[in-house]
This record gives sequence, structure tokens and C-alpha cells, in this order.
Amino acid sequence: MSLRQTISATTPGDRLLLIFLLLVSCAGIVFIKDVLPSSGGVIIEVEGKTTHRYLLEQDRTVRVESPYGHLTVEIRGKKVRVINASCQNKLCEHQGWVGHGVIICLPARISVTVGVPDKSGDKRIDAITG
Amino acid sequence: MTQSQDNYRIALLSAYALALHAFESLIPMPIPWLRVGLANIIAITTFILFGFRSAMMVTLIRVVLASLFSGSFLGPGFILSMGGGVSSILAMGLVLSLTPGLFGPVGLSLIGALSHNLSQLFLAYILFIQKVEPVLIIAPFLILIGTITGTVNGLVADLLIKNLKNSQETIQDTVR
Repeated sequence: MSLRQTISATTPGDRLLLIFLLLVSCAGIVFIKDVLPSSGGVIIEVEGKTTHRYLLEQDRTVRVESPYGHLTVEIRGKKVRVINASCQNKLCEHQGWVGHGVIICLPARISVTVGVPDKSGDKRIDAITG
Repeated sequence: MTQSQDNYRIALLSAYALALHAFESLIPMPIPWLRVGLANIIAITTFILFGFRSAMMVTLIRVVLASLFSGSFLGPGFILSMGGGVSSILAMGLVLSLTPGLFGPVGLSLIGALSHNLSQLFLAYILFIQKVEPVLIIAPFLILIGTITGTVNGLVADLLIKNLKNSQETIQDTVR
């Protein structure tokens, strides 16, 4: 009994089920991200204290002040960047668009955390084997 | 078929399933929890040739022994393995008794793979993640991979079943 014979011996039910599952899963992969609300937000901290909290979906530009300087944070297209920092080397500006991570402006003591998971997300599991 | 022959057959099939399970863990995978589920070939073959009870026994023995050998007994991986294995056999039994003749080995394998994935996602959600979004995001990927591996496993199981049926006398000799 060859593989080709085995394939041709599948019932119509088998083939319909296969096609159905392929369609459903591919459609799911394409569309699931549009259906779900996005992952997190943007938290801006000055000297370790949270001063601003925004959603990643809402485009906006914010000016953040601290006793040591200021910078302007732009949120657009689910990404965040710093424009117009008050310091000289402007490392945070050069970091560019950030979709997930932290932008830190050391001279002004401001940190911008992007894509903050909510509290229950902290106990995520990296991997399970077995 | 006597009781001891039945037990002997289940032991033999469990050993095959266990060997495939162990062999599979040697194959490197891009994602750690991704498995082809080679042992399910034995589960499907057992289910179609010898029925629901034998398949359930073989799966239970395989999952428990494999986890004992690898040291993950009662761990998260064991719970997911057990839930997936048991539910896939249950689903195949249910579908075959509700709609006999509609699905061949490949269709039953797909049903098994689907319920395997869904129950594992459900267990992972209830026990470990407790967030709907990551589960929903990963679900279509798992179902797609499960569909592909399920088809391959089903085809291999079908080949195995037909070749076994062709050499029925040989099996009778081995079982005796």
C-alpha cells in the first residue's frame, strides 16, 4: 500500500475537515490581531515616579518636564520616540521608534516604558516542555 | 481474544508509542513546546484497529511513563500532555460513534489534533496564563501546525493500518 493510494483513500469528510481547519487557522492568524485590543500602554516616569500614562493606540505628542530638563515624547502608530530632548548628546532621540522596551533619558531623569503589560502579565511562563 | 493477549497487545503498542515519544524529543524544534506528536500515530492506529479502550490505555501509559522517564511527572508539561492525549482520544471516540463512516483515519487524526490543541490551550489558560489575549493569539498558529502534523500522522497511521491488515497473520503470530 503506497502513500499515493492512502491519500486517494481519504474520505470526502477528511478533505473537507482539512480544508476547513486550514482556512479557519489561516484566517485566525491574519485577523486575530485586529480583533484584539492592543497589548499595552506607555508609562512616563520622572525620577522613578509615574507622571503620565497613555494608550499605545492613541497618537499624541507630550512634553515632559523634570527638574533637570525636559523632552518631548511622540506616540504614533503604536510606537514611541523622543523628539527634542534638552540634553546635549540626545541618546534617547537617536534611539528612534520603540515598539516595546524602555527609553531612558539619564540627564533629565525621565524614563519612558513602552508596551507595559498589565499586572497579571508578570507571571507569564517562558516555556513549557513535555 | 483473551484477556492476556489484550494486555500483551496494549503493552506492545505502549512501548511503540513510548519509543516514538522518546525519539521525537531528540528532534530539534524551533519552539520548545512544539511537537510533531509522532506517538499519536500509535494512538490513532490503536484506536482504529482495537477500539477506544485500548487507545485510551495506550495513551495513558505512554504519557505517565514518558513523564516518569523525563522527570516531569505531575509538572506543567505532564498536565498538558495528559489533558491533550486524553481529550484527543475522547474526541475521536465521540466523533466516530456519532458519525461512523464520515471520517477515515486522516479525519479522525485531525479531530484528535484539534481537540489536543484546544484542550491544551484551555488548560494553559486555566492553570498558567490566566489571560485570554495570548491564548487567542497563539491559538490559530497551534491549530494550523496541529492540522499539518495531524494530516501527516493520519496518513502514516492509515498506511500502517492497511499494511498491518495485509499481514494479519503475522500480527496474530506476534500477539500469540
